[in-house]
Amino acid sequence: MTQPVWDLPVRLVHWLLAALIAFSWWSVHNHHTDWHIWSGCAILTLLIFRLLWGFVGSSTARFSNFVRGPRTVAAYLRGKWAGLGHTPLGALSVLALLLAVAIQVGLGLIAQDEDGIYAGPLSRLVSSDASDSARDIHELWFNVILALIALHVGAIIFYRIRGNDLTRPMITGRAVLAQQAVPMRPAKWWVAVLCLAVSIGLVRWVIAGAPPFGS
Amino acid sequence: MRIAMFAAGAAYVLLCACGGPQTSQANNSQANISNESRASNSASASTTSNGMAMLAAGPVSGQQALAVMHQRHEGMETIGKTAKALKRELDGSSPNMTAVRAGAAQIADLSRKASGWFPAGTGPDVGKTGAKPEIWQNPQDFASKLHNFQAAAATFNQAAMSGDVNLIKAKFGELGQACKACHDKYRSEMHH
Repeated sequence: MTQPVWDLPVRLVHWLLAALIAFSWWSVHNHHTDWHIWSGCAILTLLIFRLLWGFVGSSTARFSNFVRGPRTVAAYLRGKWAGLGHTPLGALSVLALLLAVAIQVGLGLIAQDEDGIYAGPLSRLVSSDASDSARDIHELWFNVILALIALHVGAIIFYRIRGNDLTRPMITGRAVLAQQAVPMRPAKWWVAVLCLAVSIGLVRWVIAGAPPFGS
Repeated sequence: MRIAMFAAGAAYVLLCACGGPQTSQANNSQANISNESRASNSASASTTSNGMAMLAAGPVSGQQALAVMHQRHEGMETIGKTAKALKRELDGSSPNMTAVRAGAAQIADLSRKASGWFPAGTGPDVGKTGAKPEIWQNPQDFASKLHNFQAAAATFNQAAMSGDVNLIKAKFGELGQACKACHDKYRSEMHH
């Protein structure tokens, strides 16, 4: 018997993020810097949406539901944890990935290329030298993201070997669960649409160079 | 629920289709580029043959080769720095036209000097450089791209003197595409 664990917004954010990170890497290595910048703006939209959804989304999407202290992580490692959604250890991976991608997007927003052809929408808020440094760190920081992705995929393979398939629930949204688990409390669909509208609005403002309000 | 979320997905795609100042500028410049190169072909025909002559000229070696590579590196770096400063000015609401004119003149000047920056014997086998060996394997194509850059730099310089901000922005976009056309093909990522 399966039951819902991941709502559609969580799954869409997950797979779109994976696809856009791959696309960002590919586009910048194939001289499509303009596409790379648009991809970064799309990722920013996903990040803002996911942040909002982490407060008003379905129960398993909420930070309050999966961000836990070291004691719970330790209890989980001793096998004393039964719940629905991200495990206490998995939650750390989720937070690390989201934070690393957010830093990457932030660096990209203020970066500029070395030829004066392309620049992130917020590059003019910092000096030219700062934009150049941001580009260099942006390039290096991708290795941090790659390491976290490797850890993420490695953990999935580890659980698969132990007989726990984590990929399928991220596609179908459903999983076989321990009976004592509290069922997922889904959020209303229009809340997701509202979150999306807010994230798109914010990103459009960023693309415009973050002009001051009321001007 | 599902249909609504797919609609939300579609709204997301729309965001990307909205376009912004940077993309529209790039599109404009691409539309204009063929007209422009036709118009300036006759004016800069001599530059082309110069470029071809420099590439076809006898190979350099030793200290002379290293000197050319150093000069090329410094020149390209100055062009890049100038272009970045220009982009900052032109992306702003009120560009400093004195700075724009000075930058445009400097790039035009350096672009003419670039004819002498790529003699045979200054490739990555000689020293640290971002210049790919393909430059000397396709001398005609490289010379034509170098010429396009020189023509775009000259046109941008003329636009800068006119003081017409929209024209300056359009020509700056075309100049950027001329830089990119050559860099995409003939510059390696080991050029820092």
